[in-house]
Amino acid sequence: MVDQELLVRQIMQEVLKNMQGSAAQEACECEEKVTVADYPIGEKKPELIKSASGKSLDELTLEGVIDGSLTAKDFRITKETLELQAQVAESAGRGFFAVNLRRAGELIPVPDERLLEIYNALRPYRSTKAELYAIGDELINEYGATVSGNFVKEAADIYEKRGRLKK
Amino acid sequence: MRSKRFEYLDQRPVNQDGYALDWPEVGFIAMNSPFDPTPSIKIVDGEVVEMDGKCKEDFDMLDAFIAKYAINLDFAEEAMAKDSLEIARMLVDINVNRSECLKYTTAVTPAKLVEIVGNLNVLECMMGITKMRCRLKPANQCHVTNVKDNMIQIAADAAEAAVRGFAEMETTVGIVRYAPFNALAIMLGANVGRPGILTQCAVEEATELDLGMRGYTAYAETVSVYGTEDVFMDGDDTPWSKAFLASCYASRGVKMRFTSGTGSEVQMGMAEGKSMLYLEARCLGVTRGAGVQGTQNGSVSCIGVPAAVPGGIRAVACENLIAGMLDLENASSNDQTFTHSDLRRVARSIPQFIPGTDYICSGYSATPNYDNMFAGSNWDADDYDDWVIIQRDLKVDAGLVPATEDEVVAARNKAARAIQAIFRELGLPEITDEEVEAGTYARGSQDMPDRDVVADLKAATEMLERGVTGLDFVKALYKAGFEDVAESVFNIQKAKVVGDYLHTASMLDDKFHVISAVNSPNCYEGPMTGYQISPELWDKLSRIRTAVDPSKIN
Repeated sequence: MVDQELLVRQIMQEVLKNMQGSAAQEACECEEKVTVADYPIGEKKPELIKSASGKSLDELTLEGVIDGSLTAKDFRITKETLELQAQVAESAGRGFFAVNLRRAGELIPVPDERLLEIYNALRPYRSTKAELYAIGDELINEYGATVSGNFVKEAADIYEKRGRLKK
Repeated sequence: MRSKRFEYLDQRPVNQDGYALDWPEVGFIAMNSPFDPTPSIKIVDGEVVEMDGKCKEDFDMLDAFIAKYAINLDFAEEAMAKDSLEIARMLVDINVNRSECLKYTTAVTPAKLVEIVGNLNVLECMMGITKMRCRLKPANQCHVTNVKDNMIQIAADAAEAAVRGFAEMETTVGIVRYAPFNALAIMLGANVGRPGILTQCAVEEATELDLGMRGYTAYAETVSVYGTEDVFMDGDDTPWSKAFLASCYASRGVKMRFTSGTGSEVQMGMAEGKSMLYLEARCLGVTRGAGVQGTQNGSVSCIGVPAAVPGGIRAVACENLIAGMLDLENASSNDQTFTHSDLRRVARSIPQFIPGTDYICSGYSATPNYDNMFAGSNWDADDYDDWVIIQRDLKVDAGLVPATEDEVVAARNKAARAIQAIFRELGLPEITDEEVEAGTYARGSQDMPDRDVVADLKAATEMLERGVTGLDFVKALYKAGFEDVAESVFNIQKAKVVGDYLHTASMLDDKFHVISAVNSPNCYEGPMTGYQISPELWDKLSRIRTAVDPSKIN
């Protein structure tokens, strides 16, 4: 009995340690999850939302845009916000949609241009297997986009099997 | 000698259309094909090793993607074991609610989905749509385009369409390089007519994403998926590239849905001998597996194909129903022109018009048909009065409201002046007062003066190169004295930071409150439940502009 409890504690410690790589996710895991009852978050829990530049919703004002103190980067969504929306989706019974939102959260730090390039590289006959694997590694190592990185590698394997790699 | 009756009938518009008998061997059949696979699933250690009669080793890309991502495997064996007829009956049974239906319909394979709806007649299909639609209130979407890519007209037509009730608007281009101007014009015009309207610009996938990232659009829809691997390749994508693209949009806070529809595969001659509806069920599987919130489906631009075969329009209703069965937002086509017959084009829209879908048309042409750059639409601006009168006759809310000439002219004029002003502020080619006046009163591009296209295209390209964003639109509108429009465009940009509108079947009201399947889910459970037209709205719908008040007749 006691041993088993110890084992569970050890496992939990390991799990928490692994999660520290992703600060955002950790923060969300520790807090209470939001649900359908908190939606729309922008109206019911606006204090939970910050823009990519750290601005609160109150600070995103028309005046700020006009006087030039706010710029495009102040209007970008964050991984934390997409995690909240994923939680709402899950609580509404839309788990697959939540997966997409979390995958999207990982892609936020990837620059626009690079994101477009990766999308184009994923199109049929555009890339070799090695090229897609390199993109997968880049997503994982440079941006911490583990799910998307592995997703690209999975695509490479399938493309190989189906003859859809660069010839 | 010819029968005079038949001689006359031959000339009727309905006989200008093309018709064919089924040819199931090549997939030229709407649904219920003898060559569609028999539903099956085998799961070993949480992995699908057989689906719809195919072993894992033989899976093509779509099978592999659907088997891994699109089916709720926890309940799949139970759902697959349930008789398809029984599930079909659940869909029309008012005593079985939407959630209970979803438990089964989200845990089955494409072949099973097709087998389920194959038991329904078109009326039952409509009852299914009434219950399975995601959002409580139906809405409508329009196309705003013209053959000249005239941005003044786009702004004015969008403003008018907003006054008439559309919740969502889509533009596209004649000349690709006009895209930034068209996107700007529709966003601006729509929000002049009614704050909170979501707009998009349909162009090639990567360009469309780019416009979204720059803040020129609020959502995307032209993200096509196909039902066979060969056609997918022909469309220059894979389920993986499309799923990645879906995440790209969400990572920038931009709403999106996929597009697919019956007939696209057989039109390309690559249907693998399967029915149009079975292949569409595979498309919807890919959509769901990619984690996308919704679909534009209902044959879309291939409508001529299912319409040519027996039962094709029923199959189109079935594909809309399957979208709801997979809990996907449904923008249900009713767009491309497919018939010479006015009777037939009305009949084609009944299965969506009467039950209501999340977006009944996708879209309704906000211009005369000659200006519709999506190859015409089943409904257009010349039908505005027909649509609101049919709503009134049947007491149906199909997303539009009657509008007066004065309101329409005022909205068009403001939009035309607003785009004139923003062009001036952004240093773009001049829009003259003459063009503003023409845009205010135009029916279509034949009433618009020509512009210097070379100068426009140069300026549009430069605008992108200068890095002008949606926020620059806000600043320019404000500076030009259109503070209210500036605020609306600002609020659209802000919605992308919050992400509430990314959710299923969202739309924004005029105060920018999100209305979606999350906070306003469809709750239909029989008569006097679900969406009801309020007394205020009914009064508005009743007041078509040509109605007389009988108490005032002497």
